[in-house]
Amino acid sequence: MLTFLALTSVVLLGIVPEQSQAIAIYTGWERHALVGSDIRLSCSFFSWRWTSEDVTFSWTYRPDGSRDSISIFHYTGGAAYVDNKGPFRDRLEFVGNPGRRDGSILLKNLELNDNGTFTCDAKNPPDIVGRPSSVRLLVFEKVPIQAGVITGAIIGVVLGLLVLIVVIYYLMRFLVARRVFSLSVSKHGKKKKEGSQQRQIKV
Amino acid sequence: MLMLAAIVVLHITTIILLLVAAIDNAWWVDNSVSADLWGRWDFSNNVWHYTNLKGYPEDYLQAVQATSVLACVFTILALFVFVAQLFTLPKGMRFTFTGILQIIACLCIMTGASIYTAKLHVNDTSGGYGHCYILAWISFVLTFILALTYFILRKKKE
Repeated sequence: MLTFLALTSVVLLGIVPEQSQAIAIYTGWERHALVGSDIRLSCSFFSWRWTSEDVTFSWTYRPDGSRDSISIFHYTGGAAYVDNKGPFRDRLEFVGNPGRRDGSILLKNLELNDNGTFTCDAKNPPDIVGRPSSVRLLVFEKVPIQAGVITGAIIGVVLGLLVLIVVIYYLMRFLVARRVFSLSVSKHGKKKKEGSQQRQIKV
Repeated sequence: MLMLAAIVVLHITTIILLLVAAIDNAWWVDNSVSADLWGRWDFSNNVWHYTNLKGYPEDYLQAVQATSVLACVFTILALFVFVAQLFTLPKGMRFTFTGILQIIACLCIMTGASIYTAKLHVNDTSGGYGHCYILAWISFVLTFILALTYFILRKKKE
């Protein structure tokens, strides 16, 4: 009994190492949105540890062309603190679930000045060593036409129609030929029946 | 025999002219600038630089790109169909399928060049049309003549 306990404790100590390992944070790479719309910036993390009660999420924002970052969101000790002084006051909402390792935020009513890089940093004590992940936000006034989409569409439709017309033409020719062939077979069958009936009457 | 050779040579010439018009970036030319359809060439410091086209009405530019490519495709298809019909067509019949493909090519390049004339470079003060633009209109005339020829021509009876 004692040896069994000793063995299990040694095994457990081996599985759960004392030093913390790196935490991996995931956000998108780039997000596109239209002026006036809302966008959800997702942030989640992977950690070997269970989700602790002291888990923290922080979002910082660096505008395009600027070298300074400004902190816009912080979640700690079970409470979310949103930006109430900076560029996103009254436009930021926390829509994540820290228990499920989700630290996503919702930006409402986007403006052209919101173009920039958003960085998410998550910490899951004692797992605190990790690299923050950044997502780039691009705000457009209208949806831009991508290069070559219309070109490809026109070429594809016209060539597809050509192939379709040729196939239908040859199919119609083939079907008409078959119908003529099947008509002559049924006539031949009818003639045979009439001939056998006449022979029976004679007898 | 001579007529057949002349028609084939004319068709191949039309294909070459259309390919040059579609591929070479010279629909619009200015001092040391040669632009259009796919990109823009600028000549500075004795070197040619290639950049993407900016500030064009995207939908019209892409429509011209598509119709130029389609005109090349249809006229090449017409050549192959003509050669195939030379061997398979019953005697005394007309080369209708070839003619149809060629007239579609003619319509495509006409549409493309017209859209280019009407909607692109309308307000430009300097510069003029380059050799590709001229070749596009010449190809329109040639494809039209060839299409008519294929509609009228009959395969020899002997």
